[in-house]
Amino acid sequence: MPDIGRILLVEDDPRDTELTMTALEEYHLSNEVVVATDGAEALDYLFGRGKFQGRNSENPAVLLLDLKLPKVDGLEVLQQIRSDEKLKMIPVVVLTSSREERDKLASYQLGVNAYVVKPVDFHEFVNAIKELGVFWAIINEPPPGSVGKK
Amino acid sequence: MSRAKPLLPRIPAAVQRYGLAVLSVTAALGTALLLQLFSFRGVEFPLFLFAIALTVWYAGIRPGVLAVILSCLAFDYFFTEPRYSLYVRTSEFPYYILFILFAILLAWFSAVRRRVERDLLESRDELEKEVAVRAQQASLLNLTHDTIFVRDMSDVITYWNRGAQELYGWTAEEAVGKHAHQLLRTVFPVPIDEVHAELLRTGRWEGELEKTKADGTRVVVASRWSLRRNEQAAPIAILETENDITQHKRGEEEVRKLNRELGKRTTDLEAINKELEAFAYSISHDLRAPIRHIIGFTELLQKNASPTLDEKGRRYMMTILESAKRMGTLIDDLLAFSRLGRIETRETMVSLDQLVSEVQSEGGQETNGRNITWKIGPLPELYGDRAMLKLVLVNLISNAIKFTRPNPQPEIEIGCSEKRNDGAVVFVRDNGVGFDMKYVNKLFGVFQRLHGPAEFEGTGIGLATVQRIIHRHGGQVWAESLVGRGTTFFLSLPKP
Repeated sequence: MPDIGRILLVEDDPRDTELTMTALEEYHLSNEVVVATDGAEALDYLFGRGKFQGRNSENPAVLLLDLKLPKVDGLEVLQQIRSDEKLKMIPVVVLTSSREERDKLASYQLGVNAYVVKPVDFHEFVNAIKELGVFWAIINEPPPGSVGKK
Repeated sequence: MSRAKPLLPRIPAAVQRYGLAVLSVTAALGTALLLQLFSFRGVEFPLFLFAIALTVWYAGIRPGVLAVILSCLAFDYFFTEPRYSLYVRTSEFPYYILFILFAILLAWFSAVRRRVERDLLESRDELEKEVAVRAQQASLLNLTHDTIFVRDMSDVITYWNRGAQELYGWTAEEAVGKHAHQLLRTVFPVPIDEVHAELLRTGRWEGELEKTKADGTRVVVASRWSLRRNEQAAPIAILETENDITQHKRGEEEVRKLNRELGKRTTDLEAINKELEAFAYSISHDLRAPIRHIIGFTELLQKNASPTLDEKGRRYMMTILESAKRMGTLIDDLLAFSRLGRIETRETMVSLDQLVSEVQSEGGQETNGRNITWKIGPLPELYGDRAMLKLVLVNLISNAIKFTRPNPQPEIEIGCSEKRNDGAVVFVRDNGVGFDMKYVNKLFGVFQRLHGPAEFEGTGIGLATVQRIIHRHGGQVWAESLVGRGTTFFLSLPKP
């Protein structure tokens, strides 16, 4: 089994999380997944504060980010990551239900690495998650200082 | 001068005047000689004086002098001893001198009288002319519809024309002599001192004033003032010309009111639009998630529990999946449709020929190996949003392909039926199943379908999309159809 990078999944809906995890499990990509259920928790994880105090300071290999999140929304999380010297290199993939022009525009303006609309069809959904996982956690070489891939 | 007209126009005036002297003296002589025949004596003296007076009166001094000389000669020749000779006895000198003095006095009187009369007549003529000009001016001022009145420097009205009477309801007799601002209760937009300062500085003032008519109604007038000065440049009067602009002002107020309402309505519409946008946005985010979950978990259920389910159970599960997928498609269609109304159009010159061939080649698999006869006529170039116009063609052409499916010899024709100055009419005709024209008003409605899903697939968003795009381009779309014979869609697209 190849060495895989850590995936930080930021998703508030447990059903979506379950479907995503199912898809990732199917391809044995779920071991290194950390789930944050809102933007604030994702930021706590990334900055190693709150309940993640004292966490190993390495960055995840990729962040799968929903846009509509409680407390701190996805675009704000993205903006904070991009303005932090240590975090700004983390690859971020927006994974959302929205196909709205303005969401896409705002995401790309904030320097997102990819924008994926969650397919309604389950097979397409599983396929999309698998490909995302395979690409970002296995094929892609993450920036230095990321967890997992050495 | 009319009196200066010569009596006999063809004879020179000088000849006439001196001729009058000769004639009058000759006539006096003739008369005296004639009277002498009847033994009247001593009448020659007054007769010659009369001839001299007549000559001076009508011909002037110089012919008068000629008349005096001729009279003296005639008197000497015919009436003094020795007769029929020009010899003058010394004793007769005083007689002649007296005659000449008398003649001079008469001539002088006559000349003075004559000059006075001429001067009088001249000034009378001048006065008549002046009066005529003034009367004409006054009647012109009176004729004009504009309100004109004159007031002196203490604002007392001195002239009031018919226009003023018509506007304010006061007659000239009532208005003249009154204080203008008190009579009309003038309201100035700026302090009156400023108005007067400008008037004295530039000689003019213009502005809008509010005044009151005789019947008490208020009017708004556009007022123009001109200052009149006397020869010493001291201001003596103000001429005020006015137009009633009450209606105009009311119209302006109306327009302002309408504009305010329009502004409010626009704001309302913008708010509604924002709400709709928020609505579409939340549908996009929130409504798709549960569908994805239904589908996802049903799929998982199907995978895990399928072996334990009977035929009926599996069919139920299939139905859940299909319905959820259909719901997903409907939501996607609806969102795409609502996005059409919100996004900006990017207009360029678009070649419809090129667009049609693109759509044909991309929609290849839809025809599914069917032998469709295409008739593509020459198509115009239009100004519009390329992507949107392509979507129109995609919808119309795929409809034509879909609804000709039952026909073994399908035929689709695309052409330009009219090329007018203000735009073009393009049509897409098929020989498909057609529809009943009594449902034509439902044709372009969102999710309106004229065929069941078992016959022809589709959500019913295509023609609504076509209509929305064509309307956004300022055009019209309509259809003609016959059941079993086919349908023709027409698009009219205006020139930019």
